[in-house]
Amino acid sequence: MTDFMSYLVLGITRGSMYALIALGYTLVYGVLQLINFAHSEVFMSGAFGSYAIVHLLVGDGKGTPAWAVPFVLIAGILSGAITAAAIAWTLERVAYRPLRKRGAPKLAFLISAIGASFFLSQLAGKLFGRLTSNSFPAFWDQNHIIFHLFGAPVRTLQIVIVGSAVVMMLFLDRLVSSTKLGRSIRAVSEDAPTAALMGIDIDKTISRTFIIGGLLGGAAGFLFGLNFSLGNTMGFLPGVKAFAAAVLGGIGNIRGAMIGGLVLGIVENMVPVVHIDTSWTDVVAFVVLVLVLMFRPTGILGERLGRAA
Amino acid sequence: MRTRSLAKIAAIGIAGALALTACSNSSSPSGTGLGGGGSSSNTSNKTYKIGFQGALSGDNQQLGINEINSVNLAVDEANQKGDLGFKLEVLKSDDGGTADKAPAAAALLIQDTAVLGVVGPIFSGPTSATGKTYAAANMGLISPSATNATLTSSGFTTFHRIVPTDGVEGTQAAEWLAKKNKKVFVVDDTSVYGKGVADVVAKTLQGKGVSVTRQGVAATTQDYGAIAQTVTSSGATAMFYGGYDAQAALFAKALTASGFKGLRVTGNGGKSTVFTSGSGAAGNGWYFSCGCQDATTAPEAKAFNDAYTAKYNTPPSTYSPEAYDAANALIDAYKTAVAAGNPTRQSVEDAISKLDYKGITTEVKFASNGEVAQATVNLYEQKDGKIVQLGNILQQS
Repeated sequence: MTDFMSYLVLGITRGSMYALIALGYTLVYGVLQLINFAHSEVFMSGAFGSYAIVHLLVGDGKGTPAWAVPFVLIAGILSGAITAAAIAWTLERVAYRPLRKRGAPKLAFLISAIGASFFLSQLAGKLFGRLTSNSFPAFWDQNHIIFHLFGAPVRTLQIVIVGSAVVMMLFLDRLVSSTKLGRSIRAVSEDAPTAALMGIDIDKTISRTFIIGGLLGGAAGFLFGLNFSLGNTMGFLPGVKAFAAAVLGGIGNIRGAMIGGLVLGIVENMVPVVHIDTSWTDVVAFVVLVLVLMFRPTGILGERLGRAA
Repeated sequence: MRTRSLAKIAAIGIAGALALTACSNSSSPSGTGLGGGGSSSNTSNKTYKIGFQGALSGDNQQLGINEINSVNLAVDEANQKGDLGFKLEVLKSDDGGTADKAPAAAALLIQDTAVLGVVGPIFSGPTSATGKTYAAANMGLISPSATNATLTSSGFTTFHRIVPTDGVEGTQAAEWLAKKNKKVFVVDDTSVYGKGVADVVAKTLQGKGVSVTRQGVAATTQDYGAIAQTVTSSGATAMFYGGYDAQAALFAKALTASGFKGLRVTGNGGKSTVFTSGSGAAGNGWYFSCGCQDATTAPEAKAFNDAYTAKYNTPPSTYSPEAYDAANALIDAYKTAVAAGNPTRQSVEDAISKLDYKGITTEVKFASNGEVAQATVNLYEQKDGKIVQLGNILQQS
């Protein structure tokens, strides 16, 4: 039981990060019906952006007073989110909008996305080196056990990750369902030409959707880097996983992306529980994905473009 | 495609040529000084080149840099001593540490007729890819760091190495682990190196009656939470990881997070500053088995350590002393071949086979298959963010 709970805690932690990234895929798919394959690099740039700020604030991390830790964490999340949002906005301007204006076929967007993805990843490699295991300065005791959940230790870092992910997702949910921006995002998702006739500025809406996706992805980049490591190739795998999570939950469906991310994270961490070698993790995860899609081809919650949830 | 690879070779060639001019510029004043000193100017005009093939770019370039620095140092010292009777230069060739770039790197060295022998290739993958080519060219190889066990049984007739194989290293590491542990968790990164050494460790441990749990984690993994939890829950008193430094660092952090209290051990692939900086405090208490020597602490290596530090402003690191020995041993073979008159690649290769050179890490003397006759595996431990040598692993309790 204790073991099971320990794996579950790990799974929820990993799943929350997948969910944050998956939201970026799903939001953009909603408004443009295209998969933004460069989103994994938006996530990566968020990690680097927050690293720069956190490093600036705490140096090598030694002697950071306890009262400063929450502020450093908030600064990390914000700087990651803002960097990534800036990259996402630029990406839309440079890689997608010119194609959209000229009415390029869908395939062209895909190639443009892959090109942008390579560009960003290699650029980060050139700028920051190609080490895959950079880590944030150790400015706090992130493995301190706060409480036990059915015998499984729950640590500060896990609480920070899950807590901030939940807050951001609640915020997003409210934003999409009950603000003017949310309404225009939904309108563009449902029927872009009609939305334009109703006086919604499509370009602006798309641009802002990229920014929201970038904010969430960048925050996830910071949390991911804090938990594991950061490097110029860090985006690829979580990107693929989060895309899978978005499909699992129902692409274009915001709550679906959240659930898909959580489910995928938990499934991946449950592999050792059933005594399967951990090298089978990805195999098991994608078998589950295929099985779900066989029975629910549109994902767990189904594709529900243009609706609040 | 063809033009592109040609361009690449040309680029490497130009880089090599630039490096050579830089070398000759710095060495020419001392060269003329020697000529004026009255040594036989006839033979000292003759220049031979020592080839070097290794990773000088890419993810694993640090090892290559550690080694080429030593080779350059050895050659500079030999030139300055003035008793060579000929001049030496280094021709370096970058294989990026990967097998697919290795053939072009080897071709660059083989094409230059002044190259009579090579230090390298420094990695196992590039060695497998080029061993046959070098053998066909009769080019003698002394590798300071290619440790895959099969290299000396693959028909690479001119291949020699001065380090013990992963097989030897894994066996001795397992014997050390078996002294105190009855239950060991063995994890590998599913790479050729990692799985190879982990297999040897697991097999040796089982042979000694130790209970072994075996799992693999792909080297692309970023989240080691699940496997770390599995290791901790298994109740094993020790864990051996077969894999490379960057991944080992992530694993180290996850193991600490999951509260694992047992012994943590990895092989030569994990012992580096990449591990130290990546793992931070979580790396303290990790042990490393390595058929290599720490030049900053070993008394035999004091002179080398001083000279290296003075020249490069950084202390020698992993495999630097081995590369220094390999280069000096090769220079020794050149001397023998030159003394016999009309040196060729074949005569240098013959001289390598008959070498008996006392180096700082080991006695360079090869068995007929190219393995070094005597090789020591050392045990290392990370203490306070620094990896320190504890000594011969056979003598550790």
